[in-house]
Amino acid sequence: MRKTAIVLIALLLSAPSAFAKVKVVATLPWIGSIAGKIGKEQVEIATLVKPNQDPHLVEARPSMILATRKADILMYNGLDLEIGYLPVLIESSRNPGIQPGKPGNFDCSHFVTALEKPVSVDRSMGDVHPLGNPHFHFSPARILSVAEGMAGALSVLDPSHADAYKTNLEAFREKVRAKQKEWSALPTKGRRFVAYHKLFEYLAADFGFTITAYVEPKPGIPPSAAYIERLIGTIRESRPNGILTTPIYGRKEVDFLAGKTGVRGIVIPHDVGATPGAQNWFTFMDQALSALVK
Amino acid sequence: MKIRCLLVLLFSATLVSSSFGEDVESRLKTLEDTTAKVTGLFGGSAMTNPYLSLIVNTFFYHSGLSQSELDSRTIPGFTNVPLGTRKGFNLESAELFLFAPVDPYLNLYANIPVTEEGVELEEAYFVTSSLPAGLQVKGGKFKSGFGRINGQHPHAWDFVDAPLNYRAFMGAEGMGGEKGIQVTWLPELPIYLQLGIEALQGENDLLFGPDAKDGPHAFTFFVKASVDFGDSSTVLFGPSYVAGKADISTIADGTTFRGDTDLFGFELVYKWKPSRGRGFVLQSEYLYRKQAGDLRTGDPADPASTLESLKRAQDGIYVQGLYQMDRWRIGARYDVLDPFKKDFILSGTQQDLGKQPWRATGALEFNPSEFTRVRLQYTRDESSRDGKADNELYLQMLLGIGAHAAHSF
Repeated sequence: MRKTAIVLIALLLSAPSAFAKVKVVATLPWIGSIAGKIGKEQVEIATLVKPNQDPHLVEARPSMILATRKADILMYNGLDLEIGYLPVLIESSRNPGIQPGKPGNFDCSHFVTALEKPVSVDRSMGDVHPLGNPHFHFSPARILSVAEGMAGALSVLDPSHADAYKTNLEAFREKVRAKQKEWSALPTKGRRFVAYHKLFEYLAADFGFTITAYVEPKPGIPPSAAYIERLIGTIRESRPNGILTTPIYGRKEVDFLAGKTGVRGIVIPHDVGATPGAQNWFTFMDQALSALVK
Repeated sequence: MKIRCLLVLLFSATLVSSSFGEDVESRLKTLEDTTAKVTGLFGGSAMTNPYLSLIVNTFFYHSGLSQSELDSRTIPGFTNVPLGTRKGFNLESAELFLFAPVDPYLNLYANIPVTEEGVELEEAYFVTSSLPAGLQVKGGKFKSGFGRINGQHPHAWDFVDAPLNYRAFMGAEGMGGEKGIQVTWLPELPIYLQLGIEALQGENDLLFGPDAKDGPHAFTFFVKASVDFGDSSTVLFGPSYVAGKADISTIADGTTFRGDTDLFGFELVYKWKPSRGRGFVLQSEYLYRKQAGDLRTGDPADPASTLESLKRAQDGIYVQGLYQMDRWRIGARYDVLDPFKKDFILSGTQQDLGKQPWRATGALEFNPSEFTRVRLQYTRDESSRDGKADNELYLQMLLGIGAHAAHSF
C-alpha cells in the first residue's frame, strides 16, 4: 500500500516533465521563430526583445528575469550582442538549468563561423564586437547550422520527442534549400550599397553584393553633419544601388541622404516582426532580399 | 636522355612543390587552430582571468557659499556630516570592478573604489547561481537590497549626488557596503515578485554606528514587485525595512546617541521606452526613520555631561524624472525632508529645528557613447534650515573602460 503510494507520487511528480512543453526563452525574435520551426507543438516560446527594440540597447526588465526563471532552455544570439543585459538575466533568474555550461544554455553563435572577427580591437573604433559581427541571422547557411544545434539541444532536454525534432529539422532544411534557390535567383550579385550600420555583412557575403560605405562613421556612433556632407559627395560619385537601413534607426539620416543624392533609401527589417509582413524568419528574409532588388 | 632527365627533374619538382604546399597549408591550419583555441601553460590562463573594468568619476563643483560655509553645512536634526565637496575640481573615485564565476555554483564580485584618500573595499561578495526553487544567497560585503538608490553605485545614479532623504538617514553614499548575508527568493508567479532578507553587521554611521553591538544586529526585509504595461512600460515598486541597534555620534557635534533604529522605505519606478532613442523614467522613494534611546551631550567620562531621552520619527521623499532623447537626457528632481512627520522629542519636548529642508535639481546629460557621460547639474539647496540657500553647479564626467558590465533594471 505504502509502496503503491510512493510509486503514485513519483509518477505524479514525473508526469509533468513527460507531457509538459519545453519552455524556450529566446532573446531575439528570429531565435524564437527558428525555435518554433524546430520545436513546433512540443515547445512554448517566450521572446524577450521586442521587434521594435534595438538588440544592442536592451534593459533587463524584471519581467524578463521572471520569464528566464521559468525557462527550460535559454536561447541567445551570442558574440556579445546581449552583453548589456544577458549576464544580469542569467544570474538574477536563479535558474540553475540555464547557467553557462548547462544544456539549457544555448548560444546560437556556437554553431556559426563569424565574419569580421577583428585581429585587435579597442573602443576608439566604436562599438565593435570583439568576437565578430553578431548579425548572422541574415545568413541561411548559418541559420541552418543553428537550427541543427537547436534540434540537438531540444532532444537532450526532451529525449521523448527527439524524433519529432529531427523530423521538424528535416522539413526546415528542405524549406531553407528551396528558399535559397529562390533567393539566389534574385539579381543581388554585383550590386553595391551604402548601409547605416554594420548589420548586413552576412547578407552581402551570402548573396554576392558589396557594402561600400557606412552612414555611421564608426559602429554605434551617429554621423556628424560634416560626415554626412562628405558622404553625399561619395554617394553622388559612386552611385550605389541603394542606402540600407532598418525601421528602428537611421531612417532620418538615410531619408536625408536619399533626398540629396537621388539614390534610393531601402528599409530592411532588422529582425523577424520588425515590419508588418516579416512574421517569421522566411518572410523576414523574403522582405530583406526583395527590398534589395526592388 | 637529356629530355628524360629534365622530365624526371620537372616531375620530382612538382611533386616536392605540391607536397610542400600541402605541408604549409596543414601547418597554417594547425597554427590557426592553436591560436583560435589558446593553449599552453600560460595562454590558457588568459581566459580564466576575471572581467575587469574601471570607472572614473570626476567633476567640477561651484557653490555660492564659501568653502568654510560648505564645510560646516549640515542638516540640523538629521545629520552633522557635511558633504565635504571642494569648490573646483574633484576626483570622486576611480572604481575598480572585478567579477567572474568562481565555479559552476558561485559568482564573485568585488568593487574597489580608489580615492585620493586611499583604497577601499566597498564590496566583495559571492552570489549563488545554482540553488533550486528560485533561491539565491549573497554573502560577504555588499550593498543592501534595501531601497533603490542604495543598491546602485554612484556612477549609475541619475544625478551627481544622492537625494536628501538618503543623506539624512544613511549618508551621502547610502548605506554603503555592509558585511553580512542575504537570501532572496523569486517565486514562480505570474508577476515578478522578489522577496529578500538580510542579516548585516550594521556599521553605517547614521543608522547604527560601527560599535553599536557585538555581532550582527541589523536585519532587513524587502519586497520588489514589477509589472509591464504593454511592450514599452514597466513599473517596479516595493517596501523595504531595516532595524538595528544604534550607537552614533552623527546627530549633533559633541553628542552620542544609544538606542534602536528602524528605517522604512518604499520605492516606485516607472519606465517608458517607446523607441530606440527615447525614454522616460519616473522614480520616487519615501523613507521614514524612527530612533528611540538616550542622547548624551558632552564627553561620557565627564560628570558634567547630560543624558536625555530622544525620540526621532522623521521622513523624507524625493521624486525625479528623466527624459532621454537619443544621446541627450534631461532630468529634474525635488527632494524634501519632514513632509509628513517631524518628531524630534528631547526629554519629552518636541524641538523646533527651523525651516523645512528641501532642494530642487535640474540636470542635462550628454552621452557620446555607452561608456562616457557628461552631466551638467544645478541644485537649489535649502537644506540647512537656517534660510541660507546654496546654489550649486556641477559639471561631471563619468568614463568607463574594460569589460562591459551589464546593468540591472
